[in-house]
Amino acid sequence: MKDFTRRDALKMTGGTLLAAGTIGMPSIARAAYPDRPINIIVPFATGGYNDRLARAFAPHLEKAIGQPLVVVNKPGAGTQLGHTYALQQAADGYSILCTSASPYIPLTILLQKAPYKNEDFWMINLPSRDYTLAATSADSQVKDFAQVIDMLKKDPKSLSIGVQPASADYANMVLTMQTVGIDPANLRIVTYDGGGPARNATAGNQVDVGFVGGEGFIPLKTKVRPLAIYSADTVEWYPDAPLIGASGIKTDMVEGSQRGWAVSAKLKSEQPDIYKTLEDAISKASQDPTAVAALKKQDLSTTWFGPEASNKAFLDNAAKMAKYVDLLKS
Amino acid sequence: MIDFSAFLEALNIMATSAGSWGWIVPGLVVGLVFSAIPGVSITMAMAIVLPMSLYMDFFSAVVFLTSVYTGAGFGGSVPAILMNIPGSPASYATTFDGYAMSKKGQHNEALGYALFASTICGILGYVLLLFVVEPLANIVLRIGPLEMFAVAIWGMLLLGSLGSKYVTRGLLAAGLGVLLGTVGMNTAGFIRGTMGFPTLLDGISPIPAMIGLLAAGQLLTLAGKDYILDAEEARKVSVRKILAGCWGTMKYPGVLVRGSIIGIIIGAVPGVGSSVGNLIAYAETKRTAKDSASFGKGNPKGVIAAESAVASAEGGSMATMLALGIPGGGATAILLAAFMMHNIVPGPTFIETQKPMVYAIILNNIVQAIALLGVGIGFIYLASMVVKVRTRYILPAILVIATLGTYAVDGSPSGPITLFIFSLLGFLLVRYEYPVAAVVVGILLGRMLETEFLRSYQLSGGDPLYLFQRPGAMAIVGIMILSFAMTAWGKRKQARVEAEEELALQKLHEEEAVAGARKT
Repeated sequence: MKDFTRRDALKMTGGTLLAAGTIGMPSIARAAYPDRPINIIVPFATGGYNDRLARAFAPHLEKAIGQPLVVVNKPGAGTQLGHTYALQQAADGYSILCTSASPYIPLTILLQKAPYKNEDFWMINLPSRDYTLAATSADSQVKDFAQVIDMLKKDPKSLSIGVQPASADYANMVLTMQTVGIDPANLRIVTYDGGGPARNATAGNQVDVGFVGGEGFIPLKTKVRPLAIYSADTVEWYPDAPLIGASGIKTDMVEGSQRGWAVSAKLKSEQPDIYKTLEDAISKASQDPTAVAALKKQDLSTTWFGPEASNKAFLDNAAKMAKYVDLLKS
Repeated sequence: MIDFSAFLEALNIMATSAGSWGWIVPGLVVGLVFSAIPGVSITMAMAIVLPMSLYMDFFSAVVFLTSVYTGAGFGGSVPAILMNIPGSPASYATTFDGYAMSKKGQHNEALGYALFASTICGILGYVLLLFVVEPLANIVLRIGPLEMFAVAIWGMLLLGSLGSKYVTRGLLAAGLGVLLGTVGMNTAGFIRGTMGFPTLLDGISPIPAMIGLLAAGQLLTLAGKDYILDAEEARKVSVRKILAGCWGTMKYPGVLVRGSIIGIIIGAVPGVGSSVGNLIAYAETKRTAKDSASFGKGNPKGVIAAESAVASAEGGSMATMLALGIPGGGATAILLAAFMMHNIVPGPTFIETQKPMVYAIILNNIVQAIALLGVGIGFIYLASMVVKVRTRYILPAILVIATLGTYAVDGSPSGPITLFIFSLLGFLLVRYEYPVAAVVVGILLGRMLETEFLRSYQLSGGDPLYLFQRPGAMAIVGIMILSFAMTAWGKRKQARVEAEEELALQKLHEEEAVAGARKT
């Protein structure tokens, strides 16, 4: 081999790889599901609620499914990147989503023209629910929600309002104002690009009233006063927050967040057996008493609602968001 | 103030959990190595080790993660000093004088200055934290958008002190930087300049952009040379000289204290992090220094100022996280997650009920800062070997590592693509003599400027007199104006002295000339 060039070497390596690939492939296809690690795609950065849920739940789900789980964080573009990535994966049951399905899937569709539909996703279980909470700093002169409405009715500029634009919280705030006959355009609205900054501004009395997802307020409970929570029933993790209904205002509302486990709808329709295995494993792990106890310690939910209830809740809320899309666009 | 019984209990925790001390050195090494790679941020280093920490008990996990944090705070300055490429935005200001020192063959000393400033101010930050962890957290919550806007303006004023040949090109470059910094969805939900790419909704990733801008020009300059340092005798790695630099840091207590105060306060404010603190600390030190003309040309005070702000910001950021459960930046967000994964929720309740644990965490961080001194010297010693290697081997290596690093930031090709585009931009800027630094500062601060200005406008309903309702903002603006006035005054005095000297000199020359004429 006098004229052995680099190009030849490259060809040979390529050929070997190709051969290895073709020999290896059929064996993978034939083995029973699951025979290799499964990826949990989290469309948020490390450390958020979904990431914590995925990592805390993983050991229990591993036990139920018999394969290791790998958490893959794909943050960016308000979850659009992660959700797109999840749909791009082969529908073989080796990638599942742990996500805040609501509000992010409908939001990215309605406002960012994300290249997917609500129906492209199939919810297996959405155990965690969050609701918009109207709150004020603990040392604020505002005592209850009725007072907020009274003051704003007299002078819409009397109180500043902190809220994240294009969010369920924003829609709830505007719906309330419209119900009581205040033109939202006259309000002093201060916008925040995330729940965290909006909560800090509320706790620090930067804004008079904040409309933000309530769960994040739990560590700051002593620094804020809850005024109204946008839920029909008393919220388990914030029982002392007055319900919006109690303030006497009858307003339509959007649920803040619905978080949990989902797969692509394609997996369910094309690989029903694999899907069934997955669903059973998640159902089993969710109801495993050791998992329930472990997650409860971290303030994470495991309640098993099942695919039917979860998909209905998700699609209902998505439809409501579509109905109020003009409010979201601000 | 400090609670003594809790403090004693904290010492007890420290003593009984001696096993966790073993995690300090590995943590520091991980932090140093990761953050010294251009393109890999502190946040990433911590995100990588987070899952590992889940298998440790709580205190060990916290020790390990905070050690990574401490190490990473310093690691970024190593490539900044040796190659003029900051490891992360936090060490950008370190390049100004650090690299200038390297070019003069003082890289050993420069690294020593940086390390010692980092250590001392790390300790200073945490000691202060021990006393003020609660009040500081409450003050931080009161800092509103107008105050933040004033801080961002202060950061932008750094540009004036960087100086460039053409003022117009400097302003143009800064404007371009701010515009680039505001690409994406803003705080009011408006989408600008994304050209339809969903990745750009979150804005241009600052780390690959910064490295692209700075590295392009720098790598091309280096490519023309055989070694990073021209003089052969300068290519030495000497522990003695590193220690001399460490020792030299002690000569500038004022710079250390000022840098620390700026670092702690800015580090404590949620969502700002250390990438602004180092710029302000540098600019302020330069402005108030008597020898401000030598800044940017290898003045050790520049290195010390920048590093002291970075190191103490860590303490400030931890204060907000422990006392309020609010992460000050990406790294503390991960730390917060680690706490929660061990079923501990930081916040007002945590600090009231678990004070000994809070103190133990703070004390352990002080120990880490001391350990960093030893580990850091070893690390510097190894890293400095880069000056002995031919650039033809280093450059491709840096290029590959930086590309991989920016890929790793969010695991998508958007990082390397940003790096490539901004390398081209950086090359053009250098070619046409526009100051690259102005674009970088604009990118780093543009978003903050816009966001905080917009919120101030929304809060005030457009009334400019709102400024007078915010004593904090007034104080910041006041200090800013005062500092400028004093500089101007000092400069005038200096100019007058210089003019007098020149006049005297001229007289002398004239007399000499007259005397000379008489002789002939």
